[in-house]
Amino acid sequence: MDSTETDEWDPIRTTGRWTFHLKAHLLVLGIVIASEAIGTLEYPVGPAAVIVLPMLYAVIFGMLISFRVLGAYITSLRRIAPKEVSAISTPLILISLMPLGVRYGTLVAPAFWDIIEAGPAFLLQEIGNLLTIFIGLPVALLIGLKREAIGAAVSVAREPVYGIVTERYGPDSPEGIGVLGNYLIGTFIGTIFFGILGGLAPLTGLHPLSLSMACGMGSASMMTACSASLAQVSTTVAEEQILSFAATSNLLTSFTGLWVVLFIGLPLINVLYAKLYPILGGDD
Amino acid sequence: MDRATYAIESLKMLIIVGIITIIGNTVGYGIGIIEAIPGMIMIIAIGLVSLVLAREVPVNFPGIAWAILIATILALPFSPVQGPFLEYTERIDFLATATPILAYAGLSVAMQADRLKQISWKLVIITVIAMFGTFVGSALIAELILDMQGII
Repeated sequence: MDSTETDEWDPIRTTGRWTFHLKAHLLVLGIVIASEAIGTLEYPVGPAAVIVLPMLYAVIFGMLISFRVLGAYITSLRRIAPKEVSAISTPLILISLMPLGVRYGTLVAPAFWDIIEAGPAFLLQEIGNLLTIFIGLPVALLIGLKREAIGAAVSVAREPVYGIVTERYGPDSPEGIGVLGNYLIGTFIGTIFFGILGGLAPLTGLHPLSLSMACGMGSASMMTACSASLAQVSTTVAEEQILSFAATSNLLTSFTGLWVVLFIGLPLINVLYAKLYPILGGDD
Repeated sequence: MDRATYAIESLKMLIIVGIITIIGNTVGYGIGIIEAIPGMIMIIAIGLVSLVLAREVPVNFPGIAWAILIATILALPFSPVQGPFLEYTERIDFLATATPILAYAGLSVAMQADRLKQISWKLVIITVIAMFGTFVGSALIAELILDMQGII
């Protein structure tokens, strides 16, 4: 574990690699300027809206420029954004989360007493994450998945959940493939999905504070996209409060989410699997 | 990577991210670069402490959680530095801090593109359901409890 953690940070070394660093950071600067210049777009849908935030363009621009997408076909682009640029970008996600973290702290603190007051809701809504098992597992069985469904439907798989499922079943097991799929697909589309969902969520008729708590599910970027879009369309609750509730819920999920999955989610989905598979699981 | 190298390289990267962020802050939110510098220096300092703590403290507590925790403590109503700390950091729009993260994230996902090929379309459907179900489940329970408490 220690050696992989060291490797994970290795790309931030600048010694002997400054041209790759220059390319990576200038590309990001270019993407940021382009995304911010376009700005937030809003398409109203009744009381809600499809919100497209600058961060969503940024993730799409980044994917398009990378060596595996357009770079795979356009040689000059591959020279601007070679594989090393993508390698440098991986630990830079963790570095660039710092300003966001500090800004969230400055939103959480002034709402401190409101958050304490809403403590029970914060804690109990963590269990709401389990609802996904009752929807996801039957659908997974109906479309012909088997044990992969255990890993895919148990939760929104961010790093800790991916870690425990992989550790329990092994990375090459069906459960491991399922959780890897959930993790990777979430990485590719999670921010875009939650950015759109946050803006449309008021259509459910639920209170913006409940929705903002739901935005926190263990991924800082998904939570930010979700709550920023929600704040944009909510007229009854202040933007700061929505953002602070979402950030608090997200922080709680990073503590409790793992334990909820380990002690409740995985046992529950295994019991349900045993009951539902004979009914819904197709023959080969 | 040893402790000192990690700290120095992290600081360099934080400064680069800081510069990118305050440029985005000007383009998107019209806040002058000079005005944003003091707040960004505070953010970089907290960021460096957080990254070092995440590495040195042997609990599973990521850097961003440390950053939120430290900034929360500094910004609490009974913190002696709340006023100046909020005054300077609020000059950096919080959305401006999110855009560089996603730009790096977009560039980095290419590293995982090969693994994505093992994943069937069925898993895509189930992942979308998992994301949607988690959101709705949490929102429903939060609504119920907040309503029982009389908060909403």
